[in-house]
Amino acid sequence: MTPPPLQRAPLWRAASLGLWALVLLVSGVDGRLDLLLRAVFHPLVTLAGLLLLLVALLQLRLAFGPGRQERGDRRQARTLLLTAAIALLVLLLPPAPSFADLAGQRPRDETAESELSFVLPPAQRSLTDWVRLLRSQPDPKLFAGDPVRISGFVLPKEGEPPQLARLLVRCCLADASPVGLPVHWPAGQAPFPADQWLAIDGVMGLGPAPGGGERLEVVPSRIRPIPRPARPLEP
Amino acid sequence: MILTRLATAWALFQGLLIEALPFLLIGVLISAGARWFAPGGRWLRRLPTHPLLGPLTGAALGFALPACECGNVPVARRMLSGGAPLGAGLGFLFAAPVLNPIVIASTWAAFPDQPWLLLARPIGAVVVAVGLSLLLGLVSEPLLLQPDLLAERRLHQPLAAVGLLERSSGLVGSPAPSALSAEAAPVRPPLAELMKHASQEFLYLALLLVMGSVIAALVQSFVPRSWLLAVGGAPTLSILALMLLALVVSVCSSVDAFLALSFAAQVTPGALLAFLLLGPVIDLKLVSLLGLLFRPRGLVLTTAGAALMVLLIGQWVNLWRL
Repeated sequence: MTPPPLQRAPLWRAASLGLWALVLLVSGVDGRLDLLLRAVFHPLVTLAGLLLLLVALLQLRLAFGPGRQERGDRRQARTLLLTAAIALLVLLLPPAPSFADLAGQRPRDETAESELSFVLPPAQRSLTDWVRLLRSQPDPKLFAGDPVRISGFVLPKEGEPPQLARLLVRCCLADASPVGLPVHWPAGQAPFPADQWLAIDGVMGLGPAPGGGERLEVVPSRIRPIPRPARPLEP
Repeated sequence: MILTRLATAWALFQGLLIEALPFLLIGVLISAGARWFAPGGRWLRRLPTHPLLGPLTGAALGFALPACECGNVPVARRMLSGGAPLGAGLGFLFAAPVLNPIVIASTWAAFPDQPWLLLARPIGAVVVAVGLSLLLGLVSEPLLLQPDLLAERRLHQPLAAVGLLERSSGLVGSPAPSALSAEAAPVRPPLAELMKHASQEFLYLALLLVMGSVIAALVQSFVPRSWLLAVGGAPTLSILALMLLALVVSVCSSVDAFLALSFAAQVTPGALLAFLLLGPVIDLKLVSLLGLLFRPRGLVLTTAGAALMVLLIGQWVNLWRL
């Protein structure tokens, strides 16, 4: 059905722009940005939200000013109604991605080891630090016995036990790539569901690699289920 | 399973949208600014007419009037109607959507780890713009440009530059030239009008961005990775697939890098560059906008010429990078 021409186009424009401004501003407050975007872009989104709010207020002024008799055509009406509806939908339905599902569709992170600027003491290394370190120093025996304190989500793997993983982004969730560490899950332990966030204390140990030979794996002494961190995309 | 996948697609969609909206807003506001400083006057006719220098000068103007392709078309039309040499006007039309600071900044934001793309994209855009200007320059203006644009253009060209058969003024029975004067200062729109136009443009482009983000999020979530890898890994097929995608998604050059990001890991580098080069020159949304400038022959030549050049550039990049 074609919408009728708008009687008060500036008012509708102000409403639609205001909703989009709200999307950007609310995203910064409700933790959505932490889930979707790399931190460096957060101020830009908030700034754009404020700018858009200003434009919406100018349109609102126009709606009650001398130009208020302006009527929009059908195409304009369609654009305004659709964009307002989409903005409302985005506002009302916050994102709830499955990191494990996303990671299953993506190639694993291949960031060059040159990004590893210095090596932290073992117990302070994050999961990402460990993965990059192991990539730069492939001899597993070097790190066997080192203490490990990491957190991540459970990532099921085809043909092998689940790993503990993190997602890395360079820009936003669309380019997320997973990094994961194999875990020697305790015998008798009920398997954790995919996406469950865990904090693991333990040591690095040697285990059999799927293609033959040995590889490092985390041997947990303590596994605690934890809620998803506030900034899950931070390494 | 399907619900989980949908929830992930919804998050990807929001990520793309929220990341791209600030760049879209900046692009639209700058485009409004360009309208405010409406180019006009004698300087347009002093732009180089040389077949190479003309398009290059037009392309370089992108840095002065940074706007995405939607904002560019009206500005290019104003340049051509103001009497700018055809090559310079076309160079601006085709290269400025890429050769501007906002687009380069968004490309860098999306691909901080691929510095080659920051060079290859502007250089490729200039090559395509010069090639298209040379190609379209082979067609006479009356066959290439829309009649109303041509009529406005004639008013701003020296009479000697217009063939006798092409002149419409001064002939018995033809209307006298309008009050539109070649020397008149450009009329600046009132601020309220400017903001109204910018708001409307932002919302319209945001709608296109929404559609582009939906397609990108759905492809990323629901097309099996093995399929993406099979198509994306083939040198020629990947370029053609991403060129088709650029035609369909029709997003602005200021934000297309973020959509390209969704496919970057699965496609060849040539295909990635092809996506970033073709969209700013021609896509479904631009067909109607370019119709303000070109007759159908011009549109067909632009589409075919751009597609061929982008395909060749993509192939060359694949030979170099793969």
